[in-house]
Amino acid sequence: MSKLIAQAPALANRLAAQASPKLQTFWKYAKVELAPPTLADIPEIRAGISRLLAAARTARWKEVPVREAWLNSLVTIEVLCWFYVGECIGKRHIVGYDV
Amino acid sequence: MSGLPAAVRVSPLIKFGRWSLLTLGVVYGAFHQGRLSRKEAAFREVEDKQKAIRDAKVAEEKKRAAEREIAELEALAK
Repeated sequence: MSKLIAQAPALANRLAAQASPKLQTFWKYAKVELAPPTLADIPEIRAGISRLLAAARTARWKEVPVREAWLNSLVTIEVLCWFYVGECIGKRHIVGYDV
Repeated sequence: MSGLPAAVRVSPLIKFGRWSLLTLGVVYGAFHQGRLSRKEAAFREVEDKQKAIRDAKVAEEKKRAAEREIAELEALAK
């Protein structure tokens, strides 16, 4: 056991060296895809919301092809599921509340 | 490593929705957890008091039953 602890820094270095290209690719994608919205995106966000409301009002959603409607529903469900992920983080327990 | 596909530019509305729902979920989870633990603490207090009363009654019953048994056995033995 003490030998393992003595080798731990060397192992950590090797792990970091092996993982860093993968980490770098992950970081490259995460910076674009996972980043939170910045203040500069607010006008786009507002335009998007108004587009959604206008489409709902003018009943344009009846003319959307089924494939697009399916993809839109999948994305909507995914966005809504993040609420439950946040709830699990907030209650600090995976399934149910730990009282 | 140069054959990686380009990163997808996610629409800001979707990013905003995801992150806002995430933080909303965290806040709601913490809030609900606090509310439920407070309710459970109150209920546990009441339950403990009731348990003490019930335990005293059961102990009393057992003592009386034991005494009755001893009296019957003595009556039989006589």
